[in-house]
Amino acid sequence: MSDAIAPFITDLNRPFWEGCAAGELRLQHCTACGLLRYPVSETCPRCLSPEAEWRPMSGRGEVLSAIAFHRAYNPAWADRVPYNVALVQLAEGPRMFSNVVPLDRLRIPAGTAVRVVFEATPDGVSIPRFEPTGE
Amino acid sequence: MAWRKAAIAGVGVSRQGKLPAETPLSLATEALVAALDDSGIDKSEIDGLLTMPGTTSPEGPKHYLAVGEHLGINPTWTGSMSMGGATAGALVQQAALAVAAGMATAVLCIFGDTARSGGNRFDAAAGRGDSWGIWGMFGNAANSAVGARRHMDLYGTTSEQLGWVAVTARKHASMNPLATMRDPMTIADHQASRMIVDPLRLYDCCIISDGAVALLVTSPERAAAAKQPPVSIWGMGQGHTLMNLGTPEWWYLPHQADCISRAYRMAGISPTDIDVAQLYDNFTIAVLFWLEHAGFVPRGEAGAFVQGGERITFGGELPINTAGGNLSESYMQGWLHVVEGVRQIRGQAGDRQVEGAELCLVTGRGMTLNTASCLILGS
Repeated sequence: MSDAIAPFITDLNRPFWEGCAAGELRLQHCTACGLLRYPVSETCPRCLSPEAEWRPMSGRGEVLSAIAFHRAYNPAWADRVPYNVALVQLAEGPRMFSNVVPLDRLRIPAGTAVRVVFEATPDGVSIPRFEPTGE
Repeated sequence: MAWRKAAIAGVGVSRQGKLPAETPLSLATEALVAALDDSGIDKSEIDGLLTMPGTTSPEGPKHYLAVGEHLGINPTWTGSMSMGGATAGALVQQAALAVAAGMATAVLCIFGDTARSGGNRFDAAAGRGDSWGIWGMFGNAANSAVGARRHMDLYGTTSEQLGWVAVTARKHASMNPLATMRDPMTIADHQASRMIVDPLRLYDCCIISDGAVALLVTSPERAAAAKQPPVSIWGMGQGHTLMNLGTPEWWYLPHQADCISRAYRMAGISPTDIDVAQLYDNFTIAVLFWLEHAGFVPRGEAGAFVQGGERITFGGELPINTAGGNLSESYMQGWLHVVEGVRQIRGQAGDRQVEGAELCLVTGRGMTLNTASCLILGS
């Protein structure tokens, strides 16, 4: 499953992907200790509570680092090479890997301000990616 | 006051390179025979067995059972560990602790792999919950590329500076008869090598190898009575960031600095006491991070430090990866870094001997760049 190139939807991560389909980036907020967390997990890594609610994020953040794949490690990505992958710092705290659109933009300097966009795929899932805000 | 409660009495290295007729276990046997010969210790003395499964070893966490049966060892202390490139150092630490506690007297740490012939490409996607493959994030080079690009963006580090790490490693490998990549490399060669994951080029990446390495850890007294000058463990450390995305500065790998400062404290030394260093180089950028984490240069200045290569080669301020490292000697996931550290402290590195080498720092890192271990070796 770690080589999955499409979301594998489970009871655990369904709210995340439903949020994407609705045009919102939603992350888990621990109702016991208040930690906002990503990646999606069963329990809070700080206080171990299973109680969490899904909160919408502003979708804003900044690029910590953006790299460019010139090699296709997976056949599903072969026709998109070269493409970027970015480590994004969300305004609310958590970090996630994603892409900056358009994917063939290969140099995105650290500190570039971005906001989330959602790209619908043929299998009905929307993938969160980011676009520069120009700020 | 240095720790020095255990020592490395023997090192053994199998043939390295592309060895399609071999298995991880057959290569491990070759390495053990070499380590026994090196140390003069008899196999019957070995009462500890610690193993790292190779990428092509089929046994998984039961690896130690297969190795023990294959090598004919019934240990009082055993187990397997998988921390990628941090494993060699971590297993030596576990062996040293067992020896110091009196739970074993001679511990064999061993690793064998056929990653090259077995076709392991280290290309999988990481990510918990949702795979990073959803965003096209695959393979080990990418994790290092993230740190490399941010280091470049923040501190002005250049691809050419990364190239000096590769060129220097190749120069050192050319002086090592056991190294698998010995043809000269220039900065122009490095710059002309194809981009893999920008900013990392082909020559920023380590090679993939078949081979095995065995290390014998014993008490200072037993080591002193063995065939070779004993190499004492002055200090050791670990540091981990098991929550990758949960660690704000994961890209900078701050746990690696913690790992080394713990070892300095244990050894009672500071960075200026280190004479030679074997710094885990799965990718060239790794060396720049280690130079900063080990306190050899301030944060952000490692690129300038390696520029031109003079400071990190023989006669320079800090010769590093004196056998060629993962980049050019052979990719034994850090096990050969320990071997070269031992050779330097013994004064047996031949043409590559760093004059007056009394203390060697050996580092390792692995998995999703979230594990780190280090050893400080001395006489």
